[in-house]
Amino acid sequence: MLFAFFEWLEQSALGVFVKDQAATFAIIEAVHLMGLALLGGTVIVQDLRLLNVAMRDVPANVVTEQAHRWFKVGLWILLITGVPMLAGVATKCYHNPFYWTKMIALAVGILFVFTLKQPLLREDPATLKPVTLKLLALASLSIWTLVAASGRWIGFSG
Amino acid sequence: MNSALLQFANWLAEQPVSIDLHESFYLYNWIETTHVMTLMVSLGMLAVIDLRLLGVCLANVPASRIAQRLDKPMLIGFSVMLITGVLLFTAIPVRTTQSLWFRIKMILLVAACINAWLFRRKMVEAAQTWDLEPKPPRRMRVAGAVSLALWSGVIITGRFIAYDWFDCGGNNPAFVDWAAGCLAAQ
Repeated sequence: MLFAFFEWLEQSALGVFVKDQAATFAIIEAVHLMGLALLGGTVIVQDLRLLNVAMRDVPANVVTEQAHRWFKVGLWILLITGVPMLAGVATKCYHNPFYWTKMIALAVGILFVFTLKQPLLREDPATLKPVTLKLLALASLSIWTLVAASGRWIGFSG
Repeated sequence: MNSALLQFANWLAEQPVSIDLHESFYLYNWIETTHVMTLMVSLGMLAVIDLRLLGVCLANVPASRIAQRLDKPMLIGFSVMLITGVLLFTAIPVRTTQSLWFRIKMILLVAACINAWLFRRKMVEAAQTWDLEPKPPRRMRVAGAVSLALWSGVIITGRFIAYDWFDCGGNNPAFVDWAAGCLAAQ
């Protein structure tokens, strides 16, 4: 059932379009990497601030709120370029453990950011313990590192 | 010059370190992964600084403060980029030396570094004047946009190195072989 969906995706107009020309896939990949730089940069800026490593003289809520806006831009770039990349090699990805590792980590990452991290950070900073902030930052760095690394490894094992 | 570069690449390819890197699946791929993931640190920090210069992110924080505070993480990122990049070149020296995309990437990289260096000086000079303005003066915004464009070019050409579209010995237009520095079969 799930595999049928991957087969359909690869044979869809989008899948054929991406597969037919190697250049299409490569250009989409490059834009995907730009999205990675933006998403990763905005995650790291926030987390370094929460860990008190960088930008200590800028209020944490200013950093996390402003960087989160561009985090969302980065995430959209990655999702919009990620779908055609998957479409081009869907059946290969279905059998690729790194693909599934990445998708699960990505789902965890998105849920973590939008249902836990950002709602908590929007609360009164005084109510949050410093250790909570640091744990949030470490969890965030770990999840997005895993997403990025397993994403890169999809290509090595194909 | 092309023959000197190729001679160096051929010599490098015979060194044990090059062979080891080339033949080790995990070592090579982890260096590659580190190179790609460090984009998040080097170009990630740079993107935040450039977005501030364009006046669209952290506009209520002095621009010089953002640039100074993110300078160190950014440079750490670029150092890792450079080290892993040199290792990747060491693993596949001959093909990379004659890669059109690698050559364009190096030119863009030099241009981006010159832009960053000029910008850094202007930033120090101007810190007292427009620092608190949400929207910096036009020329600073241009510097930010140029920086983002050059680094995007570096990412695109860097990713393209992996593809064999214009490899020497293929059916390429003459100017492509010239730009890639292809020499007659070695």
